[in-house]
Amino acid sequence: MSWKDTAEPVLTRMPSVRRPEGHVPFKRKLAWTAGVLVLYFFLTNVFLFGLGGQGSDVFGRFRSVIAGSTGSVLQLGIGPIVTASIVLQLLGGADLLGLDTQNNPRDQVLYQGLQKFLVIVMCILTGLPMVFGGQFLPPSQALAQTLGIGLTGVQLLLFAQIFAGGILLLYMDEVISKWGVGSGIGLFIIAGVSQRLIGGLVAVPGLGQARGIIPTWFDIILGREQIPPLLTPEGIEALLIGVGQLIPILTTLAIFVIVVYAESVRVEIPLSNARVKGARGRFPVKLIYASVLPMILVRALQANIQFLGRILNAQLASMPGWLGSYSQGQPTGGLFYYLAPIQNPQDWMWFAGGGGGNAPWEIMLRVGVDLTFMVVGGAIFAIFWVETTDMGPDATAQQIHNSGMQIPGFRQNVRSIERVLEQYIPQVTVIGGALVGLLAVAANMLGTIGGVTGTGLLLTVSITYKLYEEIAEEQLMEMHPMMRQMFG
Amino acid sequence: MSSSDGGGLMSSAGLVRYFDAEDNNAIRIDPRTIIAFGVLFGALVLVLNAFV
Repeated sequence: MSWKDTAEPVLTRMPSVRRPEGHVPFKRKLAWTAGVLVLYFFLTNVFLFGLGGQGSDVFGRFRSVIAGSTGSVLQLGIGPIVTASIVLQLLGGADLLGLDTQNNPRDQVLYQGLQKFLVIVMCILTGLPMVFGGQFLPPSQALAQTLGIGLTGVQLLLFAQIFAGGILLLYMDEVISKWGVGSGIGLFIIAGVSQRLIGGLVAVPGLGQARGIIPTWFDIILGREQIPPLLTPEGIEALLIGVGQLIPILTTLAIFVIVVYAESVRVEIPLSNARVKGARGRFPVKLIYASVLPMILVRALQANIQFLGRILNAQLASMPGWLGSYSQGQPTGGLFYYLAPIQNPQDWMWFAGGGGGNAPWEIMLRVGVDLTFMVVGGAIFAIFWVETTDMGPDATAQQIHNSGMQIPGFRQNVRSIERVLEQYIPQVTVIGGALVGLLAVAANMLGTIGGVTGTGLLLTVSITYKLYEEIAEEQLMEMHPMMRQMFG
Repeated sequence: MSSSDGGGLMSSAGLVRYFDAEDNNAIRIDPRTIIAFGVLFGALVLVLNAFV
């Protein structure tokens, strides 16, 4: 008896959002998407009941990828969903699941159920240490006395709230996937990053945030901001990476341009219809074939490693020096320091007063580890992603064959299409994954507007681009009802 | 032009994948229920924060 038969009664009964019957008009889709987005913003501003004072953000600067917000009911963000996805990718990539999600409806149901089950497990696994280990969410002493339930009772209350928030986010994603436009997770990431980008551009000190770039430049031009003389090294440094932030501005723009350009870089494989002469098409193998989504997985892996480090630091009375030493919640030495990704220029520019007092060789080693992690990890997760989402050569060949197309000049069977695709898809996937990893690290090293991090920016630009394509396709279908039959 | 041949095949899957296949045993939730639950849950926590 395989694991499928054992798990089937549980996995097939996982509650799911009802599918719409028939076509949902585009306006209705937009309304659902907007509704969920408003709910998301509302919930990020609902602070946990029973929280005593400010804890420190567990995810720190990973927040822009994890979404949600610290201290709110969406404390967990999409963390559990991403972590569950990592587990699923690894299992699927190593072919341990044995699920044929392309052809077998029963396996599809099992896959969906397993996905949800893993998210629930991850909500518990990441929620419990957040509440009970370390000082991330300190319980309120006053409330414990008022209610007479003790600190453990208040902690249970906190856990129940973040657990509910995590599960709610999963279902909000499902509502958008089935009733709205795009995917919920993508939307939550764009929402957070865009908020930070706008904040980083226009925030004024009165809002209680760091001053944005535009107000800063007003101050520089009006002479209210003291900067060293411009023709000295200090002056140039202040303009480029100091208050002037010229390099972060350029990096942000460059990422936008590179991603939009890379979206259009593709190898096109010509197709022709087996029966209808003259009906031709092309199958594009895009450079960013596996999209930027696998990047979240690599970053989330790093976030989880750092999370583990901080829990160990909070739990162990004295952590061995080789493992990690911390000051103010940031690793300053040991293994966890080297595993921590570079998040902004201040993390490494030792020649410009950054690096937090670590020796240049330590900083270089950390940069090297981060780069290797992202480039190799990006490539590996891109391969797994292609395999588990049925975008690999075999699955794609079957889809092309089923739609009645063939590659002109080749035999009309699945195997010959697959052989041609095998020459392109694996290579393009690896190059694309590694390239995206490299871009993310480079953007972080040079800095981005509002500190949104390279990964956050890459994700936002490519998700927005996908969303734009999807909306264009939706509108095409609205205008020409005939197209609906063709797209299905 | 047969635009359905190229773009339509490309899977633009999100992080969580949903298939058309569904089991008859599964509990189905109306999307409105999710939104309503979210709003009520948020409101409940707000009220608790304000009064307790």
